Amino acid sequence: MSGHLLALFGLFRQAAGWKLGLGLLMAGITALAGVALLGLSGWFITATGLAGLSAGAVLVFDTFRSDAGVRGLAILRPGARYAERLVTHDATLAVIAGLRVRLFRALARPGLGRTLVQRPGRLLFRITGDLDNLDTLYLRLLVPVSALILLSLAGMGALALLAGWAGLLPGLFLLLTGLVMLFLGGRGGLAAGARRAASLEALRLRLLDLVAGRVDWRLAGRQAQMSHLALSAEVRLTQADDQLNRLDSRLTLGQGLAGTALLSGGVMLCAALVERDLLDGPAVALFMLILLGLLEPLAGLRRGAVELGRSLRAVRRVGDTLSAPVTHDRADAATRDVVLSQIRFRHEDAPAALFDGLTLSIAAGQHVAVIGDSGAGKSSLIALLTGEMQPSAGTMTLPAWALLGQQAALFQDNVRANLLLADPTAGDSQLWAALEQAGLAAVVREMPDGLDSPLGEGGTGLSSGQRRRLALARFLLQDKPLWLLDEVTDGIDLSVATLILTKIKASGAGRTILLITHLRREADLADRIIRLSRGRVVLDVTRGDPVFEETLSTLRAD
Amino acid sequence: MSRKARPPVPPRLRLAALVQALAALIWVPQAWLLAGAVFCLAGSDPQPAQAMQLAMVFAGLGLLRSALDAGGGRLAFRAARGELSRLRAEAVAALGARSPLDPTLPPSGEVAALLAEQAEAVVPYLQRYVPVRWRLMLVPAVILPVVAWHSWVAALILMVAAPLIPLFMALIGIRAKKASEDQLAAVGSMNGLLMDRLRGLSTIRALKAEERVADRIGTLAADVKRRTMAVLRIAFLSSAVLELFSALGVALVAIYVGFTLLGQIDFGTWGQQLGLADGLFILLLAPAFFEPLRELSAVWHDRATGEAALRALSGLSGGAVAAQRTLDPPADGSVLRLDGVGFAYPGAAPVVTGIDLVLKQGEKVALFGPSGGGKSTLLALAAGLLHPDRGTVARAGTVGWIGHLPFMMNASLSANVTLGRPGLAAAPLLERLLPGHDPARRVGEGGVGLSGGETLRLALARAIADPGATLILADEPTAHLDAGTAADVIEALLDAAQGRALLVATHDPRLAARMDRVVGVGA
Repeated sequence: MSGHLLALFGLFRQAAGWKLGLGLLMAGITALAGVALLGLSGWFITATGLAGLSAGAVLVFDTFRSDAGVRGLAILRPGARYAERLVTHDATLAVIAGLRVRLFRALARPGLGRTLVQRPGRLLFRITGDLDNLDTLYLRLLVPVSALILLSLAGMGALALLAGWAGLLPGLFLLLTGLVMLFLGGRGGLAAGARRAASLEALRLRLLDLVAGRVDWRLAGRQAQMSHLALSAEVRLTQADDQLNRLDSRLTLGQGLAGTALLSGGVMLCAALVERDLLDGPAVALFMLILLGLLEPLAGLRRGAVELGRSLRAVRRVGDTLSAPVTHDRADAATRDVVLSQIRFRHEDAPAALFDGLTLSIAAGQHVAVIGDSGAGKSSLIALLTGEMQPSAGTMTLPAWALLGQQAALFQDNVRANLLLADPTAGDSQLWAALEQAGLAAVVREMPDGLDSPLGEGGTGLSSGQRRRLALARFLLQDKPLWLLDEVTDGIDLSVATLILTKIKASGAGRTILLITHLRREADLADRIIRLSRGRVVLDVTRGDPVFEETLSTLRAD
Repeated sequence: MSRKARPPVPPRLRLAALVQALAALIWVPQAWLLAGAVFCLAGSDPQPAQAMQLAMVFAGLGLLRSALDAGGGRLAFRAARGELSRLRAEAVAALGARSPLDPTLPPSGEVAALLAEQAEAVVPYLQRYVPVRWRLMLVPAVILPVVAWHSWVAALILMVAAPLIPLFMALIGIRAKKASEDQLAAVGSMNGLLMDRLRGLSTIRALKAEERVADRIGTLAADVKRRTMAVLRIAFLSSAVLELFSALGVALVAIYVGFTLLGQIDFGTWGQQLGLADGLFILLLAPAFFEPLRELSAVWHDRATGEAALRALSGLSGGAVAAQRTLDPPADGSVLRLDGVGFAYPGAAPVVTGIDLVLKQGEKVALFGPSGGGKSTLLALAAGLLHPDRGTVARAGTVGWIGHLPFMMNASLSANVTLGRPGLAAAPLLERLLPGHDPARRVGEGGVGLSGGETLRLALARAIADPGATLILADEPTAHLDAGTAADVIEALLDAAQGRALLVATHDPRLAARMDRVVGVGA
């Protein structure tokens, strides 16, 4: 845990550097200016009051300078506060941005990426929540803590000047109060925060089940029970929230009592000092008003303390993700043939191995269609070839490849950036050529910003057919000797499917193609058909063989 | 500022706000005691004993104030949290009252996120913003006359500074409100940016573009940061103005009081001599006068997000399409009878017009036709998920449903079959339809880990699990399946439907060919 914390602070420093320190300093100055304003005002009033009382006496009191000081501080404080907020937020945003990049890099590693594919919803929500909780680590915790420390030290110095050693007491009391609040908050908040996060997650998942399965619940007569189940998560969430709020109000009470103790104790301390002639009139006012000002950072600290548990949890989880072991992708082979030898592979939760000694070789330039019923191992074959899944035994060699799948994702960015993912060196003319080939050039040209037109999340803004064609354009930009095609025209209109298959046929000559399919129109591209059944090759025929045509005809027509 | 109707404040919250305002007001006597104590010690003839007594009373009041503040906070939380629970329960009930096929219902992921995460914003809004509004009305209204009683000039300074704050804030605030909303959206989009890339991670990995995407996220995030800072600057400026005026207010009061005490100013105190204790008292009250305004600017965000959440939640109730509650059994002993049924979604052309259809026990019928022809709507009408605009639907017994994309939840196979219906045994059905699968095996989120054929077989097991289901309704059960799997599924469907009536919507000629009757729809 402390290792994670150190690593994260390292990331913070890397992302925002000196700004973090400057922000803490500005927070301290803001708090100091507040104390100084109150203290100087009180001293000014008391001094003038005493000077006024002893009218005619020598005026040792520089009204002009005090008056200017009060006004100066009145301007300095909001100015410092403004600067503090700008600097701290700028630093926080830099940290947020940096962390997201780091986290993406970590999750893009093969091992973690698989977890993400299995449980996307839950993991994505956890990541967002954790990142948000990390954001508050600096703003809600470090900033008020450092303000408190700076202010306590300054208060100790100032009060010691006024009242000698006794003046150290309030500052020490304040530091101790802050420490106790952090301890109580961290201890109480950790368990309650974990319960809260778990209940909120349960609530969201149950609500998702309730809404997504609403037809089935209704027809099974289970709607009321499912609603009740979702709301029972709400009851647990309420309990966790209540626990956190009890902690918060205990800390509020503690903060109030500490303030009361500091002020009334301060009066008593002053009384004792005055009795011994160790403190004079205006100094008493200054002393008391400085104490009043010292209380300011406690409120900020309280909020941070309540959230400390949540932040620590996020530190642990994000830290775990960032420090997960690195696994490396397989290197592309220099050969142009695809050779799988004695591959053994078992799905994590499956009772038996799917592939047990699968051997397959595809010569360079061959176009192979892999068919088979669902569960035969078609998708797993692609996943093994792309390295998304690892075989437990056997060897595999294959050249550099490009994959076009039915799930090809588009991203919230402009058209150009979506295309450049395939080839960062491609110039505009190449991009237009690829769009032209995919039959999308006219559509993009119609867009207000052409290649720079933005797409929404997951490529929204394009129709589903246009999305598939953009994915095709991106695929065609990659110039790779091996093409892996994963049910490329499943679930799309015949016109778009025909266009996609025509382009693949035109550009695929000379390349090795492995396509998995259950549609006749796709298998028709191949000159060799392999049928898989329960992970075994049960048929392997080439065009020209009568069985080839026969097999084609068993596949689903449009 | 918009004058939209605010939701009514729960009475318990009003009490909480009152308690918290009372706690803030206890500072008035406390300030008086503190000023008195300092006066006792600072005068030419110090009276430490008296100062001690005042400090004791001050501590007693402090105890009361802290207790009221913490207690009021508890009350406010409980009222606010109770309100959120009520809103959630209401929204869930409202969802239940809507037709499951209401096209105006947002996607299920959105509804879940709204009811779970977004709705949380209601609590800080009610718990913090509402009490602060009350304090803003009460606290300055009490402090001002107290100050004025000692000095009308000091009161005037406060009175002038306070309204100037909203004035200047309004000048900046028109932009600031929008700014804070934009900023919220921008920070949200920093998360959205990462989520968008993570969802398409396997594509990125297939393109071997991990590094490039990481760099791109960095660039885009830096851009989001720049835009966010631009709007934050405006927002911070408005609170800087607030702080400046409150600090100037305090400073001016201090200077005025100081020069009055010096005797260089001799007006504004109703002709009385202003004492040192009075002067300190006024000074201690000045920051408290501005405190609620500062608190208000701190909870400004809570208001924007809270009101947005309330609006979104209220949008869940209502809905355009009603479900049919119960169906009467047909008088002629058939399983399903549709007479002259017509239906149109609100604001759209009729999908189904004048349909007559009778299904007897054991009869298998295909609704055959192109997509968009009204087949699915007919199934929904037969299931009672929609209420017909014209004609009547009568049905005996319950329905086994196989949806177009069968719903699968992250639970065991057997839980996915029984759906928690009491007295149903999943094991024999799974043995028959998915032999070799462990009934305890967990299905992934949204059915991850199941093949298309397995999903359908599981949905089939679910549909026939209820022995009282006299009618199986299946919507395009063989779309998305390869020929071999489709043939398997057809056999399983026919086998499972034995003794029951079966109505399938399909455009698969092989499935239609296996039915007793084919009814053309929408062609």
